[in-house]
Amino acid sequence: MFYGFDSTIKNILKSRARLPHGEMPSKKPAEEGGCGVTGFISSIPVRGRHIYEPSVQMHNRGNGKGGGIAAVGLSAEDLGVSQKILDTHYLFQVAILDPVSRPDVEESAIQPFMEIHKAESIPTLDDYREIEGLEVRPPDVWRYFVRVKPDVLDRFITENSLQDLDHRRAEDEFIYQNSFRLNQKFYASLGEKQAFVLSHGRNMMILKIVGYAEQATQYYCMEDFKAHGWIAHQRYPTKGRVWHPGGAHPFIGLDEALVHNGDFANYHAVSEYLKQHNIFPQFLTDTEVSVLLLDLFNRTLEYPMEYIIEALAPTSEYDFDLLPPEKQHVYRYIQAAHIHASPDGPWFFIIARNNPYKNYFQLIGITDTSMLRPQVFALQEGDVQIGLICSEKQAIDATLQNLAAEDSRFCPIADKYWNARGGSATDGGAFIFTVKDAGKGDGSKKLICTNKFGDVVKTPDHQKPYKITPELSAPKNAKDITRALKDGLVLDDLSDFKRYCCRQIIDWDYVSIRYFSNELEKVAKDNDEDKSKTIEILTHLMDRRFPTGNKKRSAILQIIKESLTSIFNASPDLNQNTSSRYRYIDWEKRNTLRSPLNDEKVLVINARDFQPEGKNCDSRLLCAAYKLGWKQFICYGYRGQRFCACGLSKDSDGVRIDVYDSSGDYLASGIDGLEIYVHGNAQDQLGQIMKRGKLVIHGDVGQTFMYGAKGGDVYVLGNAAGRPLINAVGHPRVVINGTCLDYLAQSFMAGDPLKDGGFIILNGIEFDEDANVIDQPTPYPGSNLFSLASGGAIYLRDPDHKVVIDQLNGGEFVALSPADWELVLPYVEENERLFGISIENDLLTVNGHKRDYTEVYRKVQAVTLDVLAKESVAAEEWGEDWQDDENLKSA
Amino acid sequence: MKKNDIHFQFPKTVQVPDRFRNPIGKYTVRRNARCISCGLCAELCPYNVHPRYDIFSKPLRPKDYKCIGFKCKENDFFCIDRCPEQALTLRRNPILETLGDYRWTSEMLIAHWEMAETANLPVVDLEYNLGNSGGGFDKIRFKTPEPGDYLNLGDEDVDTSIILNKRGDGRPEVITGIPCYGGGMSYGSTALSVMISRARAAKLLNTLTCTGEGGYPQELVPYADHVITQIATGLFGVREETILYTPMVEFKYAQGAKPGLGGHLLGDKVTPEVAAMRETVVGNALFSPFPFHSVYSVEDHKKHVDWVKEINPKTLVSVKVSTPTDVDMVAVGSYYAGAHVVHLDGSYGGTGAAPDIAKKNIAMPIEYAIPKVHNFLKDEGVRDKVCLIASGGIRNALDVAKAIALGADGVVIGTAELVALECVRCGHCESGRGCARGIATTDHELGIMITEDWATQRIVNMYMAWRKQWCEILRQYGLKSIKELVGRSDLLVHLDYLDEEERSKYQPAPQAELII
Repeated sequence: MFYGFDSTIKNILKSRARLPHGEMPSKKPAEEGGCGVTGFISSIPVRGRHIYEPSVQMHNRGNGKGGGIAAVGLSAEDLGVSQKILDTHYLFQVAILDPVSRPDVEESAIQPFMEIHKAESIPTLDDYREIEGLEVRPPDVWRYFVRVKPDVLDRFITENSLQDLDHRRAEDEFIYQNSFRLNQKFYASLGEKQAFVLSHGRNMMILKIVGYAEQATQYYCMEDFKAHGWIAHQRYPTKGRVWHPGGAHPFIGLDEALVHNGDFANYHAVSEYLKQHNIFPQFLTDTEVSVLLLDLFNRTLEYPMEYIIEALAPTSEYDFDLLPPEKQHVYRYIQAAHIHASPDGPWFFIIARNNPYKNYFQLIGITDTSMLRPQVFALQEGDVQIGLICSEKQAIDATLQNLAAEDSRFCPIADKYWNARGGSATDGGAFIFTVKDAGKGDGSKKLICTNKFGDVVKTPDHQKPYKITPELSAPKNAKDITRALKDGLVLDDLSDFKRYCCRQIIDWDYVSIRYFSNELEKVAKDNDEDKSKTIEILTHLMDRRFPTGNKKRSAILQIIKESLTSIFNASPDLNQNTSSRYRYIDWEKRNTLRSPLNDEKVLVINARDFQPEGKNCDSRLLCAAYKLGWKQFICYGYRGQRFCACGLSKDSDGVRIDVYDSSGDYLASGIDGLEIYVHGNAQDQLGQIMKRGKLVIHGDVGQTFMYGAKGGDVYVLGNAAGRPLINAVGHPRVVINGTCLDYLAQSFMAGDPLKDGGFIILNGIEFDEDANVIDQPTPYPGSNLFSLASGGAIYLRDPDHKVVIDQLNGGEFVALSPADWELVLPYVEENERLFGISIENDLLTVNGHKRDYTEVYRKVQAVTLDVLAKESVAAEEWGEDWQDDENLKSA
Repeated sequence: MKKNDIHFQFPKTVQVPDRFRNPIGKYTVRRNARCISCGLCAELCPYNVHPRYDIFSKPLRPKDYKCIGFKCKENDFFCIDRCPEQALTLRRNPILETLGDYRWTSEMLIAHWEMAETANLPVVDLEYNLGNSGGGFDKIRFKTPEPGDYLNLGDEDVDTSIILNKRGDGRPEVITGIPCYGGGMSYGSTALSVMISRARAAKLLNTLTCTGEGGYPQELVPYADHVITQIATGLFGVREETILYTPMVEFKYAQGAKPGLGGHLLGDKVTPEVAAMRETVVGNALFSPFPFHSVYSVEDHKKHVDWVKEINPKTLVSVKVSTPTDVDMVAVGSYYAGAHVVHLDGSYGGTGAAPDIAKKNIAMPIEYAIPKVHNFLKDEGVRDKVCLIASGGIRNALDVAKAIALGADGVVIGTAELVALECVRCGHCESGRGCARGIATTDHELGIMITEDWATQRIVNMYMAWRKQWCEILRQYGLKSIKELVGRSDLLVHLDYLDEEERSKYQPAPQAELII
C-alpha cells in the first residue's frame, strides 16, 4: 500500500490505521462558501485586540455563525508559565461543550498518558450576553500544559515500530493520535457533541465560538494577551442553526492553525486520498481536510514548504514552461503524486505555525491557481516588522491603524501591498512571513518575507522609518518652506509648485515634510481658493511617485493623509452659517443633508462611521445628495465601505467624486457619465457593468475589474489582479500601466477598436525605489490573455516580445498601424497628464533608447473562432453580406 | 392586506383565433365529393366546425380543430351520422403522432392552444393535465377530496395571489394576481413582439415577466413595473437604469435545463439589432460564463445582492439557482444573503437552445427539489420569510398546483406561454430562422408573424383558463386562497407509492396511443 515510502513513514501511517474512525460521509454537512480571513505576524508580540478591528471590518464576509482566532508565539507571562515550559510542553486546549463530560475526557484522554504541568479553565467573561450580538454561549475551554509520560511514549514507539523516528516527533505523533481518539469519542461519534480538541501544538493556540471572530477575543479575555502572530476567521455557514463551534475555523494540524476562504469542488477526492493514508476527517469541512493534507505533507512526509505549496497549488501551463529544468523535474514528480489531492475550486489558505524544531514562527498565505478568492498581502519594515495577509486591503489598513495608535513604531500604511497568483512561475502565489531570532543575543526577533521559491521580498532597507512625534518642532529650513509655499500658492497655475514639492521631498527630512504639510493645513483655513489649492497639492503628492531618498513612501503618505483628513474635517457643516464652497457631512450629521445653496459646490463626505452596505451606507447618502443637486464630492475616511458612486443612474455627466483612504468593493460599478478618482489602491469588482464616464485609480485594483463593462475611459496606475474586463462589451477604453495576474479580457466582445470599439493598453511598467519607470519582468505573466475574445484589442507594450503566442487562446499578434497609434495616442497622453508617465521618456524608451511605437507596442486582436462563428446558416442562404454595417445603420 | 390587492380586476377574456388557416386539432373531419352542400352539418354543429357562407355555393373546409370527436356520437347533432350523403369522415389526426413529446404531449399542446384561444377549459376531449413522461408530475395526483369540504365560492372570491416579499424589510411586498410569473427569455432568443406581449400580459394579470439576459429594449419601459430585470453571468445589457426600472431583479446563477453551462446564443441569432442591444460583435456566438466571475462564494453573493439593493432601494431580489443535490443549502444561503425570492429551476425546463444532454441529465427534478427546500427552510425557521418559486417543466395548471402543494409559493412559467402562442415544441429555437411559428426568432420576416395584441390576449386567456382550474382545486379542499395550499403535500399522492387497490381509484398515467 505504501510502496515507495520509507519504513518510518509507512509505520506512522500504519499506526493510524488502528485509530477508531467512522464511515466516510456521503455529503458534507454544510456548504460554506466564503468567509473573511485575516492574519498578521510581527517581530514583536502584539495584543489580541489588534485582530479585533480587522475582524469587525469583515463582518460582512461572515454571518456570525462561526468565528475563530489562532495565535502563535505566545507570551509565557500571560499564560502564567515559564518560557521553557511554553517552548517544550504541548498546549492542549479542549472545548467542553457538555460540562458533564470533562472528568470523563480527562480520565480517558489526558491523565493516563500525560504529565500535566498545569491545568486550568481559561478565563472568560462572566456572562456571554455582555457581548453584543453573541447568541450562543461559547464552550468552556480547558487548557493543559502537557508532556507524554515516558513509559507511555516508549510503549507507543515499540508498538508501532517507530524506533527510527526522532523521539520528539514520535511524541508529536502520539499527541496527534490522542487528540484524534478524543475527538472521535467525544465529538465525531456522537449526535450530541460533548468535547473536542481546539489545539494541541506547542506555543500556539486556537479559540473558536459561534459568533464573530473578535467576540472570541472578548469572551476569552484575550484582548491584552500578547502573541507574535494572529489569524482570525469569519465563517459563513449556510445552515442557520449552529450551537457549537466545532465546524468553525481555524483547524489544527499539529503546530499549525489553518483558516480557509473558499469551497472545494473535490472534497471527496481529497478525502479519499487522505483515507488511503489512514487519515479520516472528523469535522467534515473543507478546511479540516486542507489542514490534514498539510499535516501529512509537512509532518509525516516531511516535505519542505516549497514542495507542500506545489502539491497544493501546482504550477501549470505556461508557468511550468518558465521554470528551470531542475524544478520542472521535481515538480513533475510532486504533481504526479499529489495532483489528485490538490484542492480544486476557489480557496485561499492562511496558516499560522510554530516550528519548534527550527525555532521560528510563520504566517503563510497560499492562493489557488485560478485566483478565485480575493487576497492581499502587505509588508511593513522598520524598527519592527509586520507581515499581513487578508481578504480585503481595508482590513490590513485597519490592523495597522490600530497598531499604530498603540505603538508608534508601526505606521498606519504598509510599505508594500500586493496580490498573488497561485502556481505562478515568479512567486508561486504563496508568501511566507517568518519570525525568528534576530541573532542579536537579546532575544529580539526579526521578520523575513519570502515567496514560495525562497526569494526574499523586502522594502528598500536604506529608508528610515518615521516616528510620530507629538511635539512639532520647526525644522531649520522652516523659513524657506514657508516662503516657497507662499510663492507657490499665489499663482493660479500650480504645476510649477507641484514640481517643486515633488523635487524637494528627497532632500527634506520627515520633520520638514510634516512642517510643510502642517503649513498647508493652516493655509487651507484661510479661504476656499487656498483650500482647494492645498487639497490639490497634497493630493498630487499622494498620487505621484517621486524619489523619497532615505524616507519611506508609506510614512510620507501617512503625513499627507493626516493633513488632508484634517483639512476635510475642517469643512463647515451644512447647517453652519458661513459661506464656503465646501460642506461637510458624516454619519452623525447625515440628517442635515440639503440642496446646495449659493456657491456651495463640494460635499465632503466622511464615510468613516457609515455601514459598509445596506440602507445606512454612504453611497446611499451620495445618491441622495446627487438628487438634491450636489455634483462634486470628496469622500474620505473609508474603511472598506462598498458601492461608492453606484446608483446615480444614467447621464450623471458633470459629477466628480474624489475618493481617499481604503475604499471598498464595487466602486464605480455601473457608472454612466460621471468621473471618479481614487487616490490610492482600490479593491475588488470595480467598474462592473460600467457604461460611460471616467475612472482613474492612482494605485492597484483588485479582482474582477470591469466585469461586463460596456464603456468608459479608465486609467490604472498600478496592476489589476485576476480576471479584469471579463465579458466586457461595447467600447471600454482602459489603460493599465502595470500588469494583470491572469485572464485579462476573457470573452472580450468590444467590437472593432478602430470603429468605436473598446481596447486595453497594457504597459507592463512599474516604479523602482527612486520612482523611475522600469519594465516589469514580463508585461503579462498569466497563461490566458484575450481568451475566446471576439472583438476589441489589447495594445501590449512588449518591446522584447516576452509575451508568446501560447499565452493567447484565440487572439493573434499583429503590428500596430498608424491608425492604431492615432487611436491610442490620446489615451496615453491623458495617462501622462494623470500619472506623469511620459510617452517619450518612459513608454517609448527602452533600455535608454528611444524607439518607434511600432517597435514597442504589439496589438492583440481577435481571430474568428470556429467555436464562436460556425458557418452561418443565414450567410449560406443569403450570401455573406446580410449582416454588414450598412444593415446595422439602416436598422 | 388591502382587499383590492386580492381582488384586483382580472382582465377581460376575448376569443383570439389561431393565426393559421388550418389549425392543428385532435381530429380531422374530411368532406368528400359526395357533398351536396345542403348545409345540414352547419346547422347541426354547435361547435362551428362547419362554417358556411350563404353566398358561396360550396361548403368551406371544416374547422376540424373545434370538433369534439367520437364522443359526439351520442349527440343527435353528430354530423357524420346525420349527413344525408355520408360525405363526412372523422378520424384522429395522424399529425398527433409527430407532434409534441413525452412531457408536452400533442394533446396537451392542442389543449393549451384552445385555452389560449377561448380562455376556457377545452371542450374537446384532450388530456391536458397529465403528460406521458412516466414520472414526475405525471405520476402525482391530487387526492380524492372529501365531498364535505367543498366550498361554494365563486371564482371571483378565490384568492390566487402570492406575495413575493415576505421579509418585512420595508421594500414593497409585490403581490401578483396569479401564482405565476414569466420566465426569462432574452431579446435575441425570442422576437421583440413576443417579449412585449409577455410584458403586456403580465401587466394585465398583475404579475411579472422577465427580460432574460439580453438587454432591456426600450419598448418594454411602459410596462416596467411588471418586468423583472435579469442579471445573468454575461451581464449583457444590464445597466444601472435597467436595475432602477424594475420591481425585482433576478440573479440567474444557473438554469435547471443546463446547470454549469451558462447562456448561449448562436452566431446566427446575433443579428445587428441583437448585437447592438448587447453591444457585441454581429454574427459571433455569445456565451455567458457559467459562474459570475465576481461571485465564487456565498459572501461574494451577499455582496452582489447588496450591490443591487444599493442601486435600487425599492427593488426585490430573486435568486435563480438550479437544483444540485445540496439545493437546500444553496436556498438557505441565498435567503441569509438577503434574497426575497429563491427561485429553484429544475431539470425539465428549457427550450430548444439547451443541449439535450444537459437538459435531461444534470439537475434534480423539480418535484424532488421543492419539498427538500421547503422542509429545510421550515426547519431553519425561515420559511415564512422567503418566497419559494419553482420552475422547470411546469406545464399546466395542475402542475402549478402540485408544485405549490409540494411547498412552493408560486412558479415561473416559460414554455407554456410560448405554447399559448402556438409553439409546436419542435426544438429549433437556437437557430436564427429556425422558428416556424415566428416566436423564437430575431428574423424580421418571421418576427412579424406575431402581433402584440394577439399574443397578449392569448397569454392572458391561457392564464385565465388555468385560474379556473386552480379555483376548482381550492374549492374542493375547502381552501379560499392558494396561499393555504403551500406545502400541503398531504393532499397529493404518488401513484408509485399506492397499493394496487388505492391506485386504481386514480386516473392512470396516459399512454401514448397509436393511431392507425
